Amino acid sequence: MFRNYFKIALRNLWKDKTFTVLNIIGLTTAFGIAFLLSTYALFELSYDKFHENKGSIYQIYTTSQAPKGPESSDANPIPFAAALKSEVPGVKKITRYATGGPLLTYKDKTLSIGSSWADPEFFEIFSFPILKGNKKNPIERSTVALTEETAKKIFGKEKAIGKTISIKRDGKETPVTVSAILKDFPEASSLRFGAIFNFMDLPDSFYKSKKDRWDAHNHPVYLQLEEGTSPEKFEKSTQEFSTLHFTNDITNAKRDGAKPNAEGQYRQIHLLPFEDVSFTDLNAAEVTVSITLQYVILGIALLILFIASINFINMSIAKGAQRLREIGMRKTLGAGKTQLFFQFWGESILIFSVAVILGAFLAFSLLNSFQTLFHTNASFELVATPTIIIGLIISLLLITLIAGGYPAFLMSKLGTLHALKGKLETSGRNRVRNALIVVQFGIAILLISSTLVLREQLNYMRNKDLGFNKEQVIAFPLKTKKNRKQLLKLMRDELSRKPNILSVTASNNILGLGKDGSTSTSVMGFEYKGREVKTNLLFVDYDYPQTLDMSLLQGRSFKREYAADSLSVVINEAMVKEFGEKDPLNIRFVINDSLQFSVIGVVKDYNFQSMNKSIEPMSFFMNSKKPMYHAYVKVAPDNLSQSFNTVKAAWDKVEPDTEFLGSFLDDNIERTLVKERTMTTMISSGSILAIILSCIGLFAISLLVVSQRQKEIGIRKVVGASVSTITLLLTKDFLKLIGIAFIIATPIAWYATSQWLQDYVYRINLTIWTFLMAGTIALLIAVFTISFRTIQAAIKNPVESLKAE
Amino acid sequence: MLLELNHIYKWVTQGGRRVFLLNDISLKVEEGEFITIMGPSGSGKSTLLNVIGMLDGFQEGEYAFLEESVHTMKEKHRSKLYKEYIGFVFQAYHLIDELTVYENIETPLLYKNVKSAERKALVADMLDRFNMVGKKDLFPSQLSGGQQQLVGVARALIAKPKLILADEPTGNLNSKQSEEIMKLFKELNEEGVTIIQATHSEANAAYGSRILHLLDGRRDRK
Repeated sequence: MFRNYFKIALRNLWKDKTFTVLNIIGLTTAFGIAFLLSTYALFELSYDKFHENKGSIYQIYTTSQAPKGPESSDANPIPFAAALKSEVPGVKKITRYATGGPLLTYKDKTLSIGSSWADPEFFEIFSFPILKGNKKNPIERSTVALTEETAKKIFGKEKAIGKTISIKRDGKETPVTVSAILKDFPEASSLRFGAIFNFMDLPDSFYKSKKDRWDAHNHPVYLQLEEGTSPEKFEKSTQEFSTLHFTNDITNAKRDGAKPNAEGQYRQIHLLPFEDVSFTDLNAAEVTVSITLQYVILGIALLILFIASINFINMSIAKGAQRLREIGMRKTLGAGKTQLFFQFWGESILIFSVAVILGAFLAFSLLNSFQTLFHTNASFELVATPTIIIGLIISLLLITLIAGGYPAFLMSKLGTLHALKGKLETSGRNRVRNALIVVQFGIAILLISSTLVLREQLNYMRNKDLGFNKEQVIAFPLKTKKNRKQLLKLMRDELSRKPNILSVTASNNILGLGKDGSTSTSVMGFEYKGREVKTNLLFVDYDYPQTLDMSLLQGRSFKREYAADSLSVVINEAMVKEFGEKDPLNIRFVINDSLQFSVIGVVKDYNFQSMNKSIEPMSFFMNSKKPMYHAYVKVAPDNLSQSFNTVKAAWDKVEPDTEFLGSFLDDNIERTLVKERTMTTMISSGSILAIILSCIGLFAISLLVVSQRQKEIGIRKVVGASVSTITLLLTKDFLKLIGIAFIIATPIAWYATSQWLQDYVYRINLTIWTFLMAGTIALLIAVFTISFRTIQAAIKNPVESLKAE
Repeated sequence: MLLELNHIYKWVTQGGRRVFLLNDISLKVEEGEFITIMGPSGSGKSTLLNVIGMLDGFQEGEYAFLEESVHTMKEKHRSKLYKEYIGFVFQAYHLIDELTVYENIETPLLYKNVKSAERKALVADMLDRFNMVGKKDLFPSQLSGGQQQLVGVARALIAKPKLILADEPTGNLNSKQSEEIMKLFKELNEEGVTIIQATHSEANAAYGSRILHLLDGRRDRK
């Protein structure tokens, strides 16, 4: 019996090669892409899920009420962690945490290693297994624990434990001993470091000088709660703690007119489950866990599979019409419903199995390009946990059961005589088919219009005038073991003689995201006329606004001729508003109770942060004692790449030991758009695939419709219909379906994309044209697909089609 | 008695009016009979055969097959009954195009769950009897109409039915092929198989032992 089914299945599939091939191509592509997309999404979703204490680990953040509204921050003062543990019950373990990229030296080798500093309890909270060395406390003072990979990088094949390396701290080389080797982490970890030190070994400016200060916030804190302590209860029980330790902040907030939150608090400590950290921006005003991207991608994978399954269902049902006689005959010969069902379902399973296997091959062969395209380390091994594999198998079975089972069910329940006569009650069946086509094209239109909106927004962000010159300015980090100031001076001298170099400046922060990946923000608050004002601050070198082509609206910039400029400030328009003064050049303010600063100039607002934030107040200071971390070089507009090489050559001459990590600012801006780019690429490829698959289905249906209506076409031609009227007749029905799909999909697409755009302060306006364009694209492609067969049928000599009946 | 029909009525409603397909048909068939149903197109020959073959239902009347009343029977039991006792032969042969001659003949046995070895033996006997051993691996499209109908008859016979229902078995055949098939039926009838055939042809009717005339769904007793 089984062999018989198998044989007849193969023969049937072979007989209808067109359909089999169309089906297999469609399903294979869909499965392949769905595998890749879901691997990506599952990988992202698996972030930080490997810690044994998962579920009781939290990161602390604080929401404080400011006059403008609530503000959140994950930075805490140095004494905070210890005080919290001893004063608020429920904390089992707690650790402070800081990251950086110090230069480590062993013998004559110097490397910049991504490093962390933490308290010893770090290793009891998180699961980072220690392979060798001091398992009890791998980070005692003046020791370091290295990952296997880093140990290999520094020591090669030498034994690492017990060796001494030196780290540059507070301007001095300080020796540290390697105490332990850690297992390399899983890819899906948001805490990453090559070396980890004791928190108290941080530079003095970070640790020692702020040891007892509650007003300097500079590091995140992670904690593990005692069993039985709920995070809500814990948060509540910290209120007293906040009131006690942050009295000043709370008094100031009250004085400045901030409104307390719903519970009457001005400052609330919150716990964020550690699993959610990689999906959260802890410095946003309202902290929300955002896993939209991952779910959107999983959703696209599902939609694609859905479209391919609809194709399969529609083709199988339509094909079933040609096998009615066989069904009828089998029934007369004694076949039961179940037997027929299993026969047809078996055929579906056959096709699906082939498609799944080919799809898996496809996914494997595309994995590498996929990884590069989406900058991900996601791979099948990383997500292949037993649960996911079982889930995958169950969902594959479900898909075959529904997509393969539905047509099988329809065919098996046909009446024997109807089937034998080859009659099919078509009206009801066509309704199902039409509904499925509408859904298919609805999805395609939804994805196409989202793609168009995303692209528009991405282009907008790329091309927006940010208020500074991003095309002509090269920025690079001043990473060196030497004196940064010295290095900057050398670079300036080196470049001053070169043609094409227009000006050189520096600041302690970067614009966009540099090649070294470092970002930082520094915000400062001070009292002005009896209320608290807040500003971002940037320490700049001479020529900063000029180099970046910022327009100076009033006053002047820092000048070498003025000796007193270390007490001068240049502010932006938003800061003028923050001060609330009409004449900004008369503003004087005092910081730290001693130094009086005066505003000497106002620059036009420029986007120094990402475009989902509005432009905040900014003040430029110039303090020759502050280290400059990033240099900016403005070059002539022509021959940019040659100028870039000039700068690189100058660096290599001045600082041959360290790699040059410079890039143009527009590349830096581009780097900040990684998330948007990934999303756009994913959705574009999803929509391209969706439209292709939908058209494969449409093409197959048009083949069948034409063959079913061959006689009708013949008769119409005999009585005088022209080729164009017949083509129109055959195309019309499909166009109607696409029209309905458009009407259904557009509001959904509009809603979804406008929700997404809400995240951006600087965004495009949605217009109906984008959506009409999406509809038109779908329509044109569909018409093109159908016309292949319809025109052919319309041209055909009617005698032939009539004879065939 | 093999089967008995008692006042069978079958109708469809068209435009609010009943159109009778079978109108008060009563019929008794003894084992070993060879009955011919005659009548013009649309007189209800096929419908009557389908009712007898349990492929189709009826609205009123009684039908007993081997003393069991079919109209009150459950679907499952009914299909078991006709699997066991009834074989069909059609005008359009209705062979399964994707199966070879051998496999077409074998199919009814598959649905009766006959063991593989026994199936082989039965199909081999049948092929032998119809002189089709050399053609067993051909597909229906590679055979002439007469040969296809032979396969159709062989398939109907394979399950050793008591009753063969033949709906215009020679309708698509030329006279020589018709004669061959009718001779075969005669032979089978002599071996004890009951046959009911529907036909237009007086010549074919002559092979039967009894003729039933139908007109507009009624017995035509003129």
